[in-house]
Amino acid sequence: MASWLELTRAVAGGLALASSLCAEPAFYATRVAPILEKHCTGCHGAEKKKAGLRVDSFEQLMRGAESGEVIKPGDVKGSELYRRITLPHTDEEVMPSDGKPLLSADEIKIVELWIAGGASATKPVTDFPNAPAPKAPRAAAVALAPDWRPQAKAIAEFEKATGLKLVPRSQVATDGLILRTASAPTRCDDAALEKLKPVAALIVEAELARTKVTDASLPLLAACENLRSLDLTRTAITSAKLGALARLKQLESLNLTETAVDDAGVAELKGMPALKRIWLFGTKATAAVPLPAKVVAK
Amino acid sequence: MHSPADHDLCSDHCGDHSTIWDLPHVPLGLKREWLALETRRHFLGRGVKALGAAGLATLLGRTAPDLLAGAASGPAAMPAFLPHHAPKAKRAIYLFMAGSPSQFETWDYKPRLAEMFDKDLPESVRGGQVLTGMTASQARFPIAPSAYKFAQHGRAGHWVSELFPHTAKIADELCVMKSLHTEAINHEPAILQITTGNMFPGRPSIGAWLSYGLGAANDELPTFVVMTSKMPLRTNVQALSNRLWSSGFLSPEHAAVALRAGSDPVLYINNPKGVDGDVRRAMIDGVNDLNRQLFERVGDPEINARISQYEMAFRMQTSVPELTDFSNEPASTWDLYGPKAKEPGTFAYNCLMARRLAERGVRFTQIFLRSWDQHSNLPNNIRIMAEDSDRPTAGLVTDLKQRGLLDDTVVIWGGEFGRTCYSQGVLRPDNYGRDHHPRCFSMWMAGGGVKPGVAYGETDDFSYNIAKDPVHIRDLHATLLHLFGLDHSKLTFKFQGLDQKLTGVLPSKIIDGILA
Repeated sequence: MASWLELTRAVAGGLALASSLCAEPAFYATRVAPILEKHCTGCHGAEKKKAGLRVDSFEQLMRGAESGEVIKPGDVKGSELYRRITLPHTDEEVMPSDGKPLLSADEIKIVELWIAGGASATKPVTDFPNAPAPKAPRAAAVALAPDWRPQAKAIAEFEKATGLKLVPRSQVATDGLILRTASAPTRCDDAALEKLKPVAALIVEAELARTKVTDASLPLLAACENLRSLDLTRTAITSAKLGALARLKQLESLNLTETAVDDAGVAELKGMPALKRIWLFGTKATAAVPLPAKVVAK
Repeated sequence: MHSPADHDLCSDHCGDHSTIWDLPHVPLGLKREWLALETRRHFLGRGVKALGAAGLATLLGRTAPDLLAGAASGPAAMPAFLPHHAPKAKRAIYLFMAGSPSQFETWDYKPRLAEMFDKDLPESVRGGQVLTGMTASQARFPIAPSAYKFAQHGRAGHWVSELFPHTAKIADELCVMKSLHTEAINHEPAILQITTGNMFPGRPSIGAWLSYGLGAANDELPTFVVMTSKMPLRTNVQALSNRLWSSGFLSPEHAAVALRAGSDPVLYINNPKGVDGDVRRAMIDGVNDLNRQLFERVGDPEINARISQYEMAFRMQTSVPELTDFSNEPASTWDLYGPKAKEPGTFAYNCLMARRLAERGVRFTQIFLRSWDQHSNLPNNIRIMAEDSDRPTAGLVTDLKQRGLLDDTVVIWGGEFGRTCYSQGVLRPDNYGRDHHPRCFSMWMAGGGVKPGVAYGETDDFSYNIAKDPVHIRDLHATLLHLFGLDHSKLTFKFQGLDQKLTGVLPSKIIDGILA
C-alpha cells in the first residue's frame, strides 16, 4: 500500500531537491518532516493546532506554541519538543499523548541530530552521516510463480496420486509451491514426478533429498521453469544428464550432497545465470570446475 | 445440542443446563467468544470426522488444496496461518545451556576488568539492581575478571574465549548477540520465560507455537522434538520437565516429543513381546474407534488430538528406528562431532541427532545441556561444560553447512540469563563464582536467515548494563518467528479472553540488525 505519508515524503523530497537547485536533499525535508507528519500533525496541524502549535511546515514549527518556542537550534536538551518526545510513556506530558505510539529510537535520534545540527531547513542529508539510515522501501512483491489457486484441482490430483505434498511457500499466492516429500521420500520416484507436469510452473522449491528419483527425472525437473531451489541429496542422480538442469534460469541453489556426480557433470552447469550456491559434499566432484556459483561445501 | 445425560462429563461442553449461555453475570462479549470457539471446535472436530483419517492428516500437513477447502468454510473456520511471508528458516535447532553460562568466560570480552581484580563494583554501575539471596548479604562485590583468555577469530573478528577452540573456527557463521536481557533473576521463571515467553508455567513453548502455526513438514515424526543431555558435571543442576516444552493451551499434539537416550528413544512405542504390528494396528484402531465415539458425544477437539497421537506413535514405530540408526554415518561425522557422539544421550550424540532430525524436516529441535550454574568454582566447572558443548556445537554448524542445511536451519546457543561481574564468595585469580544477572547476557545464532559474522549489541565495561541495542527475550522470539515467515503479532490463539501470543502483550520488535 503506497501510503499517503510516503507520497508526502516523496513530494517533500522533491521540493527540497528543487529548492536547493539539485543539491543534496535537505535533511529536514526528507528525514525530519516525515516523522512530524507521522506522529504530530494530527493534533498540531492546520486543523487542530493544540496548544497553538503547528508542525506541518518548517516555519510553523519554528514559530512554536502559545507557551513559546519548541525548538532551540543547537540545544537538544533545551528544546521542549525533544523533551516531550523522550519522556517515559507513563509521563502525563509525553508526546504523542493519549497512548498513541511513541517515536522509535531511530526517529528520536533523527530529531536529536537535526536540533543539534542547528535545526536548519536546508542543511543537506550528507551533513548527518550518523543519522540512522532510512528504512529501505519494501521491495515490490515479485511473482516467483503463477498464482497457484486456479490450479487447485490439478494440485489435489497430484497429491492424491502420489502421496506427496505441494505446500504454498507463504500466504502470497505467487510465492510458489514447495514440492515436499519428507513424510515419505521413498514414495517419490520418477513415476511420481512424471505426474508433476501440469503444475510444473508452480514449483519454486523441490525437496527431493533421500527420494528415489533418478537421472530420468532431470529433464522433467528442468521443465520446472520457476524452480529456485533444488535438493537432490542422497539420491541416485549422476553426472549423466545433469546438464539438463542448465535450462533452469532461475535456479539459485542446488544441493547434490552424497550423490554420484563428478566434475564432468558439474561442468555442465556453468552456464546457469542465477545459480549462487551448490553443495557437493560427499561427491567425487573436486569443485575445480569454474562455476558462477559459490561452492559451499565439497 | 447435548443430551441431559451428558451432565456427568465435567468440562465446558456439558449438558444443556451448563453451557455458558445459561450463566448469569457473564458479559455477552465473552459468551460470543465462547460461541466462536465452539464453532471452530465443531468445524475442526466434526469436519475431521467427516473427512476421516485423511482429513486428520491434512490438519497437520496444510497443503494447497486444504487451504482452499478451509477458505471455503469461512475464514474463522481454520487456523490456516501458513507463513505470512516466505520464510528464511524451515527449521531451528536450539542448544539450550540451562543454568546460564557466564558471558565473561564465553562471548562478552571485558579486557578492562583485568586491571580491576578484587576492586569493588562501583555503586553507580549497579544502580539499585536487585540481587539474589545468594549475594545480597555479601559485604563486598569484588570484580572477578575472566580466568580465560580471548582472541579474535575469523574475518568477523569475534572475540572468542579459549574455552571454545572449535566454535572459534566457525566464528564467521555466528551472529553473536551480547545484549539479551530479561526480568527474571531466578532459574525457574527465567527458563520458562525464554522457552515459553512467560515466567508463569502453562504457556505453549516456542516449538509448540511453530507447530501450531506451520503444521508438520514430516507427518512421520513429531514437529517438535526435545532432548536432554547427559551432564559432564553435576553441580547446581536445574530441573527440566515438560513444562518447558508443553503445548500449554494449544492442542496437545503441538507439545514436544522428548527423545530419550539409549535403545528406547520414545518410551512405550515398541511393541511388547508377543505383540506384532498387526495386533498393534488392530488395537490402535479399536482405541481410536472408542475415541471417535466419545468425540461424537462431546465434540471436544482434544479427543482428535489423542487420536492423532496414537497414530503418530504408530508411525514412529517405523520412523524412529531409522532416525536413530547412526550406522550409515560417514567416518567424517565422528571427526566433526567428536567421539562422544557415539555414546547415546551425550550432548554430542544429541547434536548429531538434531542434524538427522533437520534432514527429515523436523521443525524445532531443542537440546538441553545442564550444569552451567556456576555460583562457585566457576573456572574449573565452566571449562568442563565448555568442553562438552564446544566441539559438537561447532560440528553441528559445520555439518549443516556442508550438507546445505544451514541456509534454512537456524541454530541458537545460549542460556536463560547472565552472570555477575563480581564474585560470589571467595575470589582468587583462578577461582571465583558468579551470581545470576538478568540485565545482560550473550547468545549466538547461526544460519536460517541470520546475518553471519556480526556482533550485535554492546554492554558496558562491566557487562552489567546494556550500552547499545538491547534485545529482550520477546524480541528474540519475534525475530525467530519472523525467520520462520510468521508475524508474531498475528500468530495468535484465543484463550481466556485474549488473543494469546508467544510474545505476550508487551512491546516486542524484530531485530532488523541481525537479519541477513
